[in-house]
Amino acid sequence: MATNTVSQVVPSPAEDAAALLKAFQGWGTDEQAVIAILAHRDAAQRKQIMLKYEQMYSESLTQRLQSELSGDFERAMYHWILDPVERQAVMANAATKCIQEEYPVIVEIACANSSAELIAVKKAYHDLYKCSLEEDVAAGTTGNLRSLLLALVSTYRYDGDDVNMGLAKSEAKIVHEAVRNGTTDHAELIRIVGTRSKAQLNATFSCFKDEHSSSITKALPHGTDPTGYLRALRTAVRCIADADKYFAKVLRNAMRESGTDEDSLTRVVVMHAEKDMKGISGAFRRRSSVTLEQAIAKETSGDYRSFLMALLGS
Amino acid sequence: MPQQVLAQASSNSSPPASPHPPRLRQAPPRKQEREALPAAMPAADEHEELTRAFAGMGGLGVDETALVTALGRWRRQPERRAQFRRGFPCFFSASAGAAAGIERCEDEYLRHLESEFARFKDAAVLWALHPWERDARWAHHVLHQGHHPAGVLVEVACTRAADDLLGARRAYQALYHRSLEEDVAYRVKDATASLLVGLVTAYRYEGTRVSEELATEEAKALAAAVKAAPAAKLVQNEQVVRILATRSKPQLRATFKVYKELHGKPLEENFAGEPCLQEAVRCLDSPPKYFADVIGRAFRDDADKQAKAALTRVVVSRADSDMEEIKDAYAKQHGAKLADAVAKNTHGHYKDALLAMIGK
Repeated sequence: MATNTVSQVVPSPAEDAAALLKAFQGWGTDEQAVIAILAHRDAAQRKQIMLKYEQMYSESLTQRLQSELSGDFERAMYHWILDPVERQAVMANAATKCIQEEYPVIVEIACANSSAELIAVKKAYHDLYKCSLEEDVAAGTTGNLRSLLLALVSTYRYDGDDVNMGLAKSEAKIVHEAVRNGTTDHAELIRIVGTRSKAQLNATFSCFKDEHSSSITKALPHGTDPTGYLRALRTAVRCIADADKYFAKVLRNAMRESGTDEDSLTRVVVMHAEKDMKGISGAFRRRSSVTLEQAIAKETSGDYRSFLMALLGS
Repeated sequence: MPQQVLAQASSNSSPPASPHPPRLRQAPPRKQEREALPAAMPAADEHEELTRAFAGMGGLGVDETALVTALGRWRRQPERRAQFRRGFPCFFSASAGAAAGIERCEDEYLRHLESEFARFKDAAVLWALHPWERDARWAHHVLHQGHHPAGVLVEVACTRAADDLLGARRAYQALYHRSLEEDVAYRVKDATASLLVGLVTAYRYEGTRVSEELATEEAKALAAAVKAAPAAKLVQNEQVVRILATRSKPQLRATFKVYKELHGKPLEENFAGEPCLQEAVRCLDSPPKYFADVIGRAFRDDADKQAKAALTRVVVSRADSDMEEIKDAYAKQHGAKLADAVAKNTHGHYKDALLAMIGK
């Protein structure tokens, strides 16, 4: 469920464009006005506003926003204004540029989307970057990490509920073997995680837990893995098993005492505000003493905070 | 001739014909004689024609019209049929059936006939299916039958457009409630597994943008891989699989071209030791050439069941897309028109169906 609110009756795109121009004019920018408009429009409406603005004032709204705004607020708004599918393609592309650190973003996009949504993201990627997401992911990685990322990004999972319990048991065994033997021979594990349907995988995960009384993620070795493969694997398993819980955890980690990770915070809120933020919010509340809004209010400030709060529906 | 017919007619258990000799211009020829007239050709020729019609002399399909003619021609003349069986010893064995007093039909011949009669049916049904369902059914069949799954999978994965391959994967899910890559990953247990899964899950960029720099870089990477290991190991080589399974087709063709320029011989030659890899390169580089080659192999005397079935598969699946290019490639490879080769090597409705799909 989305958290950002869009009223029943909205001004026309022309009116919104004019109001935005007014907010840009003069000394400084009226950020609150910008938020008041853009945070409360859905994807189709935002697209209309962008087209109208360009038509009326002969400049790109995106570029104007980039020059008028700054810092974390600007980065958040830049991603927010994009169409949801394009947004994920843009974030995926940014991640492939420094994939050794940003591979969790790729895993999230590959695993938290439905099969059809992932195809749409890949198509948008073709149009934007004139090459495929698979190419860029594969070219920047090696070894197990590459095999896992490529499998996750290429797969078109069956999205039905059919589950074969016998298969789940046997594959739980294979997973256990692979986990026990270190990270040398994970071909079968990657095969399973990279091709089976989500329903089948969840059955496999619960068979694993029943047999070995701990979840796969806990059973994986917890040292530092320079290749990032184990962390990617853990991320994939968590995203597939319970995406809301996973994103809530990302948010919690982003707002630690030691300093806020605005990039992750922006990414999760902006990507999910108009999709399934309510579930993530709920998962956040269950594991912490404060609501998500309270946590964000405490850890952020200024226009950036106002924008995030608007997206969360406060 | 007529006397022969009358003599045979009298040995039948059916009511004897009238003993009058035919009186031309005064009365219409008797029933038996009317039927005897088409059998003006010598018995040996009849036998040969019928043998050919029954797919006994090579070629694909059966000649349904000739079979029906023979049925009519030899109506109520079981002795003619018995003669035919005796004259067709590799398929009807008098010795094997001696105990029962019959020329027994060999089981293998029956199986052969089944597949030859079914060729037209298969062609027609496949033609009627949606292309995505067709591809999904082929993939499923080949994965669950064993022997050389690679061929058909590589063909479908590498020669279809990105959205058609995706459509086939969707159709596979609708038909079998599993994804194609699940089944490939699960059932292919040899070294080609990672390449096949990669090819089958590819959703390639379809635009024309090509980077010469990248082509050179990757041609060098391929050359290094080729130098370091024999083809059989190459099928699992990370670089090779990555390049073949993710790059766009125009980009790959540029890479193959650079490779040939740098090393004098085409990449597929270096992959000769691993058919899966070699076919992938061929399919990605030039589908028409690959398909013309597959068709050519179906006409050879030593063609096996899969090679023959490939003829139907290629013609039906490419009739609407690049059949003209395939015809050109075939003419170049074999020095003969494809339509002529089909007319020479196939029979009956199957032949007519293929010719209709191939076009002038």
